Amino acid sequence: MARILVVEDDHDLNKAYCIILKHEGHEVVTAYDGKEALEKLNNFEPNLVLLDLLMPVMGGLEFLEQWEAPKKNKKVKILIFTNMENSPEVAEAYKLGASRCIIKSWTAPHNLARVVSDTLHAKEIKAKPTKAKAAA
Amino acid sequence: MPQITEQQAGAEAMFASIGDGAITTDEYGRITRVNPVAQELLGFTEAELIGEWFPKIIVAVNFDDSTIALLDRPITKTFLTGKPVVAKLNYRHKNGHNVPVSITASPIIFEDKPLGCIEVIRDITLEQEIDRMKSEFISLASHQLRTPLSAVKTYTHMLADGYMGKLNPAQKQSLATIISASNRMNELISTLLNITRIESGTIAVTPKSFKLDSAIEDLMPELGLMAKDKSIKLSFVTRDSYSTSLKTDSLIFKEIVTNLVSNAIKYTPRSGTVTITLKPRRADIMIEVSDTGWGIPKYSQDQVFSKFFRADNIIKRETTGTGLGLYLVKGLIGALNGKIWFTSEEGSGTHFFFSLPRQHRQPAKPK
Repeated sequence: MARILVVEDDHDLNKAYCIILKHEGHEVVTAYDGKEALEKLNNFEPNLVLLDLLMPVMGGLEFLEQWEAPKKNKKVKILIFTNMENSPEVAEAYKLGASRCIIKSWTAPHNLARVVSDTLHAKEIKAKPTKAKAAA
Repeated sequence: MPQITEQQAGAEAMFASIGDGAITTDEYGRITRVNPVAQELLGFTEAELIGEWFPKIIVAVNFDDSTIALLDRPITKTFLTGKPVVAKLNYRHKNGHNVPVSITASPIIFEDKPLGCIEVIRDITLEQEIDRMKSEFISLASHQLRTPLSAVKTYTHMLADGYMGKLNPAQKQSLATIISASNRMNELISTLLNITRIESGTIAVTPKSFKLDSAIEDLMPELGLMAKDKSIKLSFVTRDSYSTSLKTDSLIFKEIVTNLVSNAIKYTPRSGTVTITLKPRRADIMIEVSDTGWGIPKYSQDQVFSKFFRADNIIKRETTGTGLGLYLVKGLIGALNGKIWFTSEEGSGTHFFFSLPRQHRQPAKPK
């Protein structure tokens, strides 16, 4: 099972994600903002970071800008979990190395577990478009 | 002729006193008069502007900082059509920064002969700042409304999924009701915030070139989860006869596709199919979202894009819709200068089509 860092400022949600992921057998460490996450990363090497974007002290984007590991080690997966649907911040997170983005208020716990597992195993749920040549 | 001189002086004084910037040109577009507000707004002195060719000395750029071609300049259009042209754009200040302005370029006609053009320029920096603050508020409100809702949904799901112990059937049923209601509330927050943006004219359209097929691929994981929940087969096909790149707003484009596809999933029975087809054409790109759903009755088809409309055959099956989804989609497509239409047969399914033009122009502010 994987090592996961949950970075979420909402205490209720942070606790919920922790319960769900531990239930799946993962080792989970939690942080409530980007700064605390950077501190936790001194003693914890995650396979995946579940990251909120809008947080006090240090938001998700600033965290991604400051965290060096994903730039050196592409194996670390970053799963953005936000409610800022279709926002420029999400586009920016992809540029900074995020693997995937999921809208919190649309994702049920069993889906969270599934998305985490898919992201860890780099299995894209993406349906590949079938390219069909148009008739001349 | 002292009387004429007095009249001329009066006209000059009036011109100089206009509260907005005003610049006149001769019939060749050379600047003949500039009032003090225009000089201050653009940073040039009267001496620097008089006699210069208007489109050369006053640089016009779009809000995305791209230069506006000569033929697209309001002053050129006024000369070509002989009609007033209203536009919002940036003028480049002499010191290099952009000044957002609202302008009206009108022909100067004297005894049926065109003598030149007058352009009235209003600084809209403050207006834009207020628009930006409004959009920021709406975005923040959307986030803040959803945060407690996420907690409600997550914990309800955790209870329902047995994370806190086994439940009896009545408890499971009650939780299913809470989940369904919170889903509706979530949907409603998204829709209302977007409608507010469209109706207030604060929807930000940021045209940038991107590949529409890649944008749809980005959406597939999220849409795939929705389809999987109903065992619906969701597929995406690109017919790449022309380029799939388009200069439009990618976020609004994704919102439109998400709405149409989630609608199709919602109104298609379990185990049905939903297909997204991208058809790039010479002048536009067309996107089709087709489903094998319940369809829209013929007698209701002209009301499909009305606010709060819901078809009779759907109300009987799906009591949860708001009737706002397609109204919103139409507004979003309008913001991108696109068109939407559909064909539908009750019992067989619906095909929604929308097209976005390859050439982007600034849409009219909604009323």
